[in-house]
Amino acid sequence: MIEIKNVSLWYDKNHQVLNDISETIQRGQTVVICGPSGSGKSSLLRCINGLEYFQKGDIIVNGVSVQDPDTNIHQLRSNIGMVFQHFELYPHMTAMENITLAPLRVRKKSKNEAEKKAMEILERVGIPEQALKYPAELSGGQKQRVAIARALAMEPKIMLFDEPTSALDPEMIKEVLDVMIDLAGEGMTMVVVTHEMGFAREVAHEIIFMDKGRMIEKGSGHDFFNHPKNERTRQFLSRILI
Amino acid sequence: MGFLNYTFDWSVLWRHPYGNMFIKGVVTTIHLSLLAWMIAVIVGIAIGIFRVLPIRSFRFAGSFYVQIFRNTPFLVQLFFWYFAAPLLLPEPAQEWLYDNVPNYAYWAGVAALGTYTASRVAEHFRSGLLAIPHDQYRAAYSTGLTTMQTYRYVIAPYAFRIIIPPFTTEFLTCFKNSSLAMTIGVMEVTHTAYYVDSFTSHGLETTTAASLVYLCIALCVALFMSFVEKRIYIPGMIARGQ
Repeated sequence: MIEIKNVSLWYDKNHQVLNDISETIQRGQTVVICGPSGSGKSSLLRCINGLEYFQKGDIIVNGVSVQDPDTNIHQLRSNIGMVFQHFELYPHMTAMENITLAPLRVRKKSKNEAEKKAMEILERVGIPEQALKYPAELSGGQKQRVAIARALAMEPKIMLFDEPTSALDPEMIKEVLDVMIDLAGEGMTMVVVTHEMGFAREVAHEIIFMDKGRMIEKGSGHDFFNHPKNERTRQFLSRILI
Repeated sequence: MGFLNYTFDWSVLWRHPYGNMFIKGVVTTIHLSLLAWMIAVIVGIAIGIFRVLPIRSFRFAGSFYVQIFRNTPFLVQLFFWYFAAPLLLPEPAQEWLYDNVPNYAYWAGVAALGTYTASRVAEHFRSGLLAIPHDQYRAAYSTGLTTMQTYRYVIAPYAFRIIIPPFTTEFLTCFKNSSLAMTIGVMEVTHTAYYVDSFTSHGLETTTAASLVYLCIALCVALFMSFVEKRIYIPGMIARGQ
């Protein structure tokens, strides 16, 4: 479903962010990417939906090459949901308007249809009563669930999560992770940048460890945690698993 | 004749021919400020966009403009537009100007006030744009919105709310700065006050009237803008006027 082939990315001549990354993600799989800050995790995620231009390699999503000039990038992105560390809800719109904007403007749905669908999704993420509130009136966990609902409203085939719980209070992390665990259970294809190792252990089909733009190690949850092969991975795990 | 012997005669404000002079003065102040403000907003927004473009020459041109206009006294700029600018034109153009534009001072005032205020508007606009996080754009793009849609539905309404308070201040400053146009002979309300004083020796009344005109118009604008701010108020965005 997602094929990443030898992708390299430079921010400028002397600053290489991704170094020859290759990875194949099957339909329905959940892949977790972890690693220290500056290792290129978020950049890799952004390459998948064409938010970042990479100079070398190719990424094929659903048989379509992301950087092919003939690709309709907007259409491609509309089938890939994305969730951000700082939620990035549109502050001048209510939760409902945040969720229905793209279905109305991109999918050209009717207002009724879009709002009905939005309510269904809000119920699924557990906050239908917050529909008419503005982002500033919601807690962090609620904001992130609205952000997930906004992505789901486009009925994406793939969901990308960029550190979705890093900006949350500890008590709110669970409510967001629960939604993500449900999604994984329903067979959504997900790529998740996170340091929530409990989540990785529970749902990840594969865990990737990145450092300095390289993919250092990848493996199933069990292998990754119990028999990490690389010294750098062991060092990283010993620091975050206390 | 000491101050104690001064007899107030407020009728100089409406007596023929001074009443008409005051009305003309007030009207000149208003359209001079409004024309200058229109130039300031159009040029200012363009320069503000130049300053955030990823093209170096545009950024250079933008900051060159801002540094020149912001870091020289407005009075000097006014003299430049009135005395020096015409000399920079080829001779036939100069002659045409002197023959056909009897109120050149007025247009020099509009140009000076407009271009000067533009440099300040540009800075506010730029900081408004920069206040919007990168991921906010990415969030909009990730749902499949086009660049135009992203700016129209997400970025513009967001930036608009950030820049309203500083734009209100700039407009009021622009309006009050228009009084300096009297130094090049524009018959706006301050100049009118001095002019009527020279005939009547009732400068106390005339300058009081001119001050009240500025005060009233500025208060009306401020009130109107705080009404606008309340109308578009959204929790957690701009601070609401009391």
